[in-house]
Amino acid sequence: MKRREILIMALLLVGSFITIFLPNVKPHKHIIGAKQLLYEVNKQGRYVNTDAVAKMIMESDPSLLLIDIRSPKEYAKYTIDGAINIPFDKILDKANVDYFNQDVYTTVLFSNGTSLADQAWLTLRSYDYKGNKVMKGGLNQWYKTIINPQKPADDHLTAEAKQAYLFRKGAQIYFTGATPVSSAAPTSKPKASGKPIVKRKKKEVSGGCG
Amino acid sequence: MGPLYPQLLLNPQYNLLIGALIGVGFGFLLEASGFTNTRKLAGIFYGYDATVIKVFFTAALTALIGLFFLHYMGWIDITLTFYPKTFWIPTLIGGAIMGLGFIIGGFCPGTSLSAAASGKIDGIVFIIGVLLGIFGFIFTYDTAWEALRKSGKMGRVNIADWIGMKEGLFIFLFTVIAIITFIVFQKWQDSWKRKMDQKDVDDLGI
Repeated sequence: MKRREILIMALLLVGSFITIFLPNVKPHKHIIGAKQLLYEVNKQGRYVNTDAVAKMIMESDPSLLLIDIRSPKEYAKYTIDGAINIPFDKILDKANVDYFNQDVYTTVLFSNGTSLADQAWLTLRSYDYKGNKVMKGGLNQWYKTIINPQKPADDHLTAEAKQAYLFRKGAQIYFTGATPVSSAAPTSKPKASGKPIVKRKKKEVSGGCG
Repeated sequence: MGPLYPQLLLNPQYNLLIGALIGVGFGFLLEASGFTNTRKLAGIFYGYDATVIKVFFTAALTALIGLFFLHYMGWIDITLTFYPKTFWIPTLIGGAIMGLGFIIGGFCPGTSLSAAASGKIDGIVFIIGVLLGIFGFIFTYDTAWEALRKSGKMGRVNIADWIGMKEGLFIFLFTVIAIITFIVFQKWQDSWKRKMDQKDVDDLGI
């Protein structure tokens, strides 16, 4: 056997010996570029409106995962039924990765308005976490449209607007318990939701060899 | 960092260009290492030349160990690279046909293209045979092969996971097996060469 062959075999043996001490392969965290981020921020595809969220809750959509990113204090005071609380400063914690980086649930982030949830979305997106959405207008909009919907002015009322109002009235009954409320915010306690067991995302890659 | 296309780090337009450049390098090295010579390639089956097994095992091990290290250095994400689904029955049958084709024809598909490019008639004839096989398969796929093609489905199988072994340990054991194979084939090759007349060895032209 030639010396060169012995050297190659020794190198392979040493290299493979080192791999014994390395842990099993796990997907990397990917950080996406600023250009891609700008494109997605402009696209606005991350927003869902309060009507859509209400509809999903009323239909008991099993893919919906509502995440309240406000402080635990605010969460304890009022939140949407079924929402779990992951405060904004904890969204990147290791324990919470499985909520945000998965492709089983549609996670909808919300805060009081849009900004905080939007910032959370941007932070998560920069780690290439997909499938997260932002409830546009947050709880303020939720209150305005679902908890206490205002009847639109009768003149020039389109069929869609009428339909939307009727839906909201129905949603109001669903969420507040039959009697329409006037101004006081409901104080229902949030429903605890178990941590979902989610699969890590897997990407389909095409290619091959001949 | 990588892989470059799935993460949009490189425009897929460059896919063909980079593929062509790598192809040039691959073809050059096949020709340079004598892999367009049927006698050298088929030597593994007769025992007088162990180059094929050495080259392919070394390539596989270098890629395996190298990719594993690059993954931990953060340069490439193995989980995003192409990972075919396993259909063990057609793979087994296809492998047997490929082995037979290799020993009878003296080429595998890639080396036959290199041989044809350097003007070897046996390479050209081999490619004609390959094309006949491909078209024959395509035109009879629906009637004859579809059931076989989809049999033995196992999904994406990571062999270390499958046998319940740590990936690093599997790589090490695989390397040890490969090195033992190198040594056994080298001894086999040496004993054959001792038995053959020098004239016969020269006639092989390898």
